[in-house]
Amino acid sequence: MCDATDSPAMELPPKGRAEGARSKLCLKCKTAKPSITIRRSLYCKDCFVRASVSKFRSALSKSRKRMPASRAQVMVALSGGATSSAMLQLMADYQRMELKGFAAEPTYTGVVVGHVDESALFSGYSDSQICDIATAIGVECHVARLEDVFTLGGDQAALLELVHATIAPGTTRDQFCVQLARGDGSTPAREQLRALFAGLGSATDREDMLDIIKSFLLAQLARQAQCGLLLLGDSGTRIASKLVSLTSRGRGFSLPLEAGAEAPFLGSSSGVTAYRPMRDFIMKEIAFFNLWTAQPSVVVPTFTTGAPETASIDRLTEAFVVGLDRDFCSTVSTVCRTVQKLELRPDALTAAQCIICSMPAEASAQAWRNRLTVNVAPKDQTLEQVAVSSADVQPPQSTFDVTAHLCYSCQSLLHFAKPGVALPAFCLQNYREQIAGAKPSDSESDVGAHLQQSQERLRQQIEEFFI
Amino acid sequence: MPRLCDICNDARAIVRRPKTAQSICKECFFHVFETEVHNTIVDSNLFKPGDRVGIGASGGKDSTVLAYVMKTLNDRYSYGLDLYLLSVDEGISGYRDDSLETVKRNKEQYGLPLLIVSYEQLYGWSMDSIVAAVGRKNNCTFCGVFRRQALDRGALMLDLDHIVTGHNADDVAETILMNIFRGDISRLGRCTEIATTGEGYIVRSKPFKYAYEKEIVMYAYLRRLDYFSTECTYSPNAYRGYAREFLKKLERVRPSAILDIIHSGEAMHVAKDVQLPSLDRCQRCGYISSNSICKACVLLEGLERGIPKLGISRTKQDVEAGPRESDLVHFEKLRQDALEMRKTRQNSAACPQSACACRSESGTENCS
Repeated sequence: MCDATDSPAMELPPKGRAEGARSKLCLKCKTAKPSITIRRSLYCKDCFVRASVSKFRSALSKSRKRMPASRAQVMVALSGGATSSAMLQLMADYQRMELKGFAAEPTYTGVVVGHVDESALFSGYSDSQICDIATAIGVECHVARLEDVFTLGGDQAALLELVHATIAPGTTRDQFCVQLARGDGSTPAREQLRALFAGLGSATDREDMLDIIKSFLLAQLARQAQCGLLLLGDSGTRIASKLVSLTSRGRGFSLPLEAGAEAPFLGSSSGVTAYRPMRDFIMKEIAFFNLWTAQPSVVVPTFTTGAPETASIDRLTEAFVVGLDRDFCSTVSTVCRTVQKLELRPDALTAAQCIICSMPAEASAQAWRNRLTVNVAPKDQTLEQVAVSSADVQPPQSTFDVTAHLCYSCQSLLHFAKPGVALPAFCLQNYREQIAGAKPSDSESDVGAHLQQSQERLRQQIEEFFI
Repeated sequence: MPRLCDICNDARAIVRRPKTAQSICKECFFHVFETEVHNTIVDSNLFKPGDRVGIGASGGKDSTVLAYVMKTLNDRYSYGLDLYLLSVDEGISGYRDDSLETVKRNKEQYGLPLLIVSYEQLYGWSMDSIVAAVGRKNNCTFCGVFRRQALDRGALMLDLDHIVTGHNADDVAETILMNIFRGDISRLGRCTEIATTGEGYIVRSKPFKYAYEKEIVMYAYLRRLDYFSTECTYSPNAYRGYAREFLKKLERVRPSAILDIIHSGEAMHVAKDVQLPSLDRCQRCGYISSNSICKACVLLEGLERGIPKLGISRTKQDVEAGPRESDLVHFEKLRQDALEMRKTRQNSAACPQSACACRSESGTENCS
């Protein structure tokens, strides 16, 4: 019975956990021949699918207990990839069970799908394929396109355009200066989107920006469809590599919001709550679940598909986490538990939101960086020269400095972007809202007024150095 | 035409700065490197005037540069510190004996008093004899646990207020990653602190917390500092190796990643209901410990009883309860001696000829 040659394809459990191997039967039903090993336990096909279903349901109900959503309509974020497709099937199945009358009143009033079409950047699959996945399951599909972020306020809406993000010689601080640029309506939104991505400094930055845009569009779709709850298809493997990748990009401050099991989506003002109910599944489980339930999915390309592992931070962390999990099989679940033990710092709750990623921006982030990447020549240290150099870098009238409205990580993002890059329209909206927070109106002239105010504040700070 | 320095716009740029990718000249490199360390020290209020500060010196690049920079900054910004070199001799032939020669040269070069404490003298076991007893596996556990105590013992012999170590930004970022991978949440919360808050023990800090390893090497190279560079002859820590390899790749993808990881680590907030271990004193040697008997005493007992797996593997081999005859000098005794030294020093304040050299010698004798 103990002969290992019985099933050569199967991973043998180590000594000490030999019970499953000795009987060579499914851990759950103890009657069928096992078909898969998950974390050293053997399952048969049926029991594996059943276990997956209950794992999803328990994750969902745990999240609901910890953070109930404001409205009961659910949006499932569907990229078409393996995890989100599996999640859609599991959610639809859950909803069917509830409607059948096992529950007095269904917890969720309805399920819809939200999809962000990325065809402006990637080819290889079409959004009709994704909608097919949704219709096959019988749910409505809401689609937004990446390029929509440039037409939010109409074709000729004003955008924030990066003038310079620089460490100019002799300055003591970085500056992120933008100006208002009005589109003439002649450049198609798709082109504007491509220009934005072409203007970013690296694949890591492009991934970052893509995530930000997708999140914004999903939040918008959810609001439009009256959904208070958004289900995100981050598998355990993905959450583990996301934690490492967010950490490596300096996003520790907002990490619990971006990778936690349940969190307000894009700030509490959005009115949308996000759950990540797939966090207890590793990629292997999802692959087998889809195979055995005949769930179709598509391969979603990324900026680094087929590229070497050093192509971007996301690509590198993913390769690393998958490799580490192969050698130490509990890595993914351990890292996922680490995420749950982190919470937002109290000051993150009141911090201003970054106008790009909508995450809390740590107030002192830039000062921190400047103290540790000194940029002043030895001779520039007298007061007189500081005054001169500060006067030099006063932004011209038409531009304004948005440094205080950017989080640490988005400062890095803009730092390597080409001057002239136009930011998505929601950045200007966010900026206006922040200024309006101080003064209740939001016309463009107010942006100008704010600019003058901040100039004045700057001048007061350095007044004593003027001769 | 040669490229000009990005910072002073005057001299010829000779290095591309690993931290910021700027091309800068030699003088500006020295200036920014030293200023950043100074900023780190000032912003975290590491020292107060009159502090007696020991520099943990191994003879390697980090500690050699640390000794040089600490001395330079102490003079330039008048911190008012009494600096000492403190070395631990683990007893690894072909490695530590050579590097200690470097430390002895540094002592002359920088004019700082030096105290060497050895495992042999403190514990009765050198690393070479430990490896002979336990084999090459797990020997790093012994070395790490013993070194921590050895530094504290040395610090008490010199009556120091503070120990600075050469841990750099790469080390800190690596530790953050490693604690994430292992899910060690209590260490994740603590590992970004620049100084340990020892209850009654000597404060330990890392002024190079934000200094890139590459820049430290660059600094040593450009200043032509005398340092020793050989890897330890015994095997390195395997799990840390994973984190290290990953970090190196990450740095290649984005040079600022090391600093960004530290920034993230500092911003992380550990949930309140996570249990943190409480600290106690070891019943045998009085050292700070989360158990009734500290790790060093457990390991020593294992060595002496011929069961070196004690305290390492999870097999059921128990430590003998309660105090036990030990060769270790009790920490209370060391603290008393330090107090005595402080009193004598205060009394003889009129005599400005500092007895540094003889104190370090007598300190060594006290211990044996």
